[in-house]
Amino acid sequence: MLTVSILKNLSANDICAIVLIIAGLFFFFTSTVGILRFPDLYTRMHATGKGDTLAVLLIISGAIVHHGLNLNSAKLTLIALFVFIANPTATHAIGRAAYRCGIKPWLKESKCTNPGEPHQ
Amino acid sequence: MLTTVYENLIVQTVCRIMVPFIQIYALYVIAHGHYSPGGGFQGGVILTASLALIFLAFGQGAVTRRINRRLAVILASAGVFIYAGIGLLCLLLGGNFLDYAQLAKILGVTIPRARSLGILGVEVGVGLAVMAAMYSIILDIAGSPAKPETKSRPISENKP
Amino acid sequence: MNTFFLYVNIFLGFLILACLYRVVMGPTTIDRMIAVSAIGTKTLILLILIGFIFGRVEMFVDICTVYALLNFLGTLATTKFFEGRGKC
Repeated sequence: MLTVSILKNLSANDICAIVLIIAGLFFFFTSTVGILRFPDLYTRMHATGKGDTLAVLLIISGAIVHHGLNLNSAKLTLIALFVFIANPTATHAIGRAAYRCGIKPWLKESKCTNPGEPHQ
Repeated sequence: MLTTVYENLIVQTVCRIMVPFIQIYALYVIAHGHYSPGGGFQGGVILTASLALIFLAFGQGAVTRRINRRLAVILASAGVFIYAGIGLLCLLLGGNFLDYAQLAKILGVTIPRARSLGILGVEVGVGLAVMAAMYSIILDIAGSPAKPETKSRPISENKP
Repeated sequence: MNTFFLYVNIFLGFLILACLYRVVMGPTTIDRMIAVSAIGTKTLILLILIGFIFGRVEMFVDICTVYALLNFLGTLATTKFFEGRGKC
């Protein structure tokens, strides 16, 4: 009954924004759990590189829907595009640096014999 | 045998795409200093950030070829010259130092518009000076690039 | 709607505190770097939603663009430092 009375006051824009923001929060939560619980550096990189980027995209979409068509919505689109391009690039750079440093990935039996040498 | 080695192709491509947009955003921050957070100093630092991105992706040789140390010093002096020059111009026209209302005499606009244009000119000077100063700081911290070691030894040298 | 943004911000604050555990306890330095980049992304969203709460969206959106750029640059610079070293 309380939910229905709350839902009557919100417009369609607001409900769509709330759904998108909650979806983004779910992906933030799962990527944080991934950072805390995964066994290795490379797997943690997977968690934050993919989950965080998708969560940022969803939450900014929710904020755009809430705010309406405006100049600020255009600027928010630019932020989303920047994070969409920059976060995976930073993750790739981190992974390459980790491989060059010689950190072995976590495998059942170690198939990666000599990390640390550049790929030919 | 490879003559050019791509250090990190993905970072280089992304840097090539992003640097012009970062510089346009820096000019936007410089120009809108009076209304939204920004101004001369912040825009100058963002301009330096774009140059630092080129440094990180392509190496010191590439960024030094675009703006070398001497040009950085010249740009810093030019920025300070713009700032002090506008102030001195207001002084010569018969007012106080940085009294932008006197600029209305030579520009032929109303007094509030002359003040707005004076502030914009000063911000541009500050942005230029900050960019050049921070860039020369980055180059000084990086130092000169190390010469590649020669791995071959002369044949006649006797090694124990 | 403002209270909903406030609860989202509080939840994001707890997620940032959870990422701090990896910053402190990460076995290698690159672990800490990944966690700091994740904290930067969460802070970006925090700032945007605070801008919605205060009602001044324009101001906070400009700040967030610069913060995203600085986060990216910091991560790239740290990886460049680790590229040539043998150990981390």
